[in-house]
Amino acid sequence: MGTKAKQAGLILIATVLGIFFIVPVIWMVTISLKSDAEAFLPNLNFIPDDPTIVNYTDALSGGDLNVPILRWIYNSLLVSVAGTLIVLAVDALAAYGLARLDVPFKKWLLSLFLSTLMIPGIIWFVPQYVLFQDLGLIGTYHAFYLPFTSSAFGVFLLYQFFRGFPKELEEAAHIDGANKWKIFYAVLLPSSKSILSTLAVLTFMGIFNDYIWPFYASGGNDTMQTLTSGIAVMTQGSYVNSPNKLMALSTIATIPVLVVFLLAQKAIVRGITQSGIK
Amino acid sequence: MKGSLRSRLTSSLFVLPYFLCFCVFLLYPLISGIILSLQNNDMLGTHEFVGLQNYIDIFTPGTYIHDAFFRGLWGTVKFVVYSVPFLILVGLALALLVNSLNARVRGVFRTIFFIPYAISATVMATIWMRVFDTDSGFLNLMLDKLHIHHQQHIGWFTDTPWVWIALVVSTIWWTIGFNMMLFINGLNEVPEELYEAAKLDGANAWNRLTRITLPSIKNVTAVVMVMTIIASFNVFAQPNLMTRGGPGFETTVMLMNVFDVAYGQHQGGAASAMAILLGLIMMIVSAAVYRLLFRKEA
Repeated sequence: MGTKAKQAGLILIATVLGIFFIVPVIWMVTISLKSDAEAFLPNLNFIPDDPTIVNYTDALSGGDLNVPILRWIYNSLLVSVAGTLIVLAVDALAAYGLARLDVPFKKWLLSLFLSTLMIPGIIWFVPQYVLFQDLGLIGTYHAFYLPFTSSAFGVFLLYQFFRGFPKELEEAAHIDGANKWKIFYAVLLPSSKSILSTLAVLTFMGIFNDYIWPFYASGGNDTMQTLTSGIAVMTQGSYVNSPNKLMALSTIATIPVLVVFLLAQKAIVRGITQSGIK
Repeated sequence: MKGSLRSRLTSSLFVLPYFLCFCVFLLYPLISGIILSLQNNDMLGTHEFVGLQNYIDIFTPGTYIHDAFFRGLWGTVKFVVYSVPFLILVGLALALLVNSLNARVRGVFRTIFFIPYAISATVMATIWMRVFDTDSGFLNLMLDKLHIHHQQHIGWFTDTPWVWIALVVSTIWWTIGFNMMLFINGLNEVPEELYEAAKLDGANAWNRLTRITLPSIKNVTAVVMVMTIIASFNVFAQPNLMTRGGPGFETTVMLMNVFDVAYGQHQGGAASAMAILLGLIMMIVSAAVYRLLFRKEA
């Protein structure tokens, strides 16, 4: 009775709010399907009069936008995947060492790493750029993903998990004569798939969606932009006058992350719960 | 497992790769950032030690750095003050709403509210620029239909206070899902027995919220508050891509000016000094908020 009406009311409120969250995304897709002429007509049709995919084919072939979009997509995927793999490897090793092994100065190292989580990144942004400039890496792929390997976030996330991992399994393997490496990759890693996927998803999204660092790390080289930094440059330039092309690009840029996000939503939630920080 | 030198050596190898990455790409830049702030550095290779001159310049009225720092700080502080209360209250409200929905639809709405969080800053900006555009934006066309402000369109990015409303609304849309998730996690940890006991005592929904829910999620609220304040102090993408700091210098925030001084003016040292002062302010504010919230409890 009363509760049913109340539930219906709550769903109504949630739906109205949901529209606020969804409509901008739909509007992006709508504009991306409009012709040049229609894109400038002030109308609110969610379905274009004359839907066209020419903005997508144009975008992918370079077209009259004259920007190397396929290269940007390749750049984005390459640095996101490479960065994610390196972060996973480096962080998992370190977290296991700190959580379980007889590493000298363990406590001291751990607090050194964790304390940097409280320091705002802007303090090392400019010097990091100077460093990459000195190393001659600005404008190369290494500049894009290397800074992400230094974040203590993943070490912290995995450390929390490894510390709670039952010791009995490791001890059994130890008695069977397995050494530390073997225990790490044969016992620990297979049992940590869920937390590793959490870190993978968060790292992938972080690198793929970042645009400030790639913007500077590209050294202003057009072919070395990522999808997100490239679009950022375009929104500031003459492409303001091609909203339909920009929206097609934006849709293309959003699809990979959205797929990862929807597939791995549980993993993301777990990451947020377990770390409480980001 | 505590053992021989050999054992400790092999154990150290596990930490070594990360330790190197950490030292080279974080610790070194952090320390050189502090040194950089004591230099006159044109970011093109030439630099000289100038002591505290950059910091003195920041506090000397009339210098470019002084204006850049205080204009940026003022813009950032305004954004923090306008955005943080909404980011917390709306996040909590959405979490309460989602948690009171039927289990069948709960997941769907949680996902819908969380989706914009997956969208990159540039795409977010591209979308909202089309929503807030003065002549052909979605919002003004909508207001036309409703015959509100029909004669004169609102300049969402060109007039105050609209520009702040536009920035806060797009920020809520983009980031609120994260705060909501943290609150949902907090709400799920509140023991069910507390609510049952309160129901027996005849407490109404409002009393249950203020006497049970809010006190029980105090720790989560403190974490969300500190994280939101830090995130808002770091605001950059929204004004940089959408308003470009305008109208005038109204929405010019600190990070925009740090990048401008570093890469536009080629004064890496001054930019570093600005960044360090901003960092200190952020750390002091978040520590103060944390202390305040936890002292009250004691």
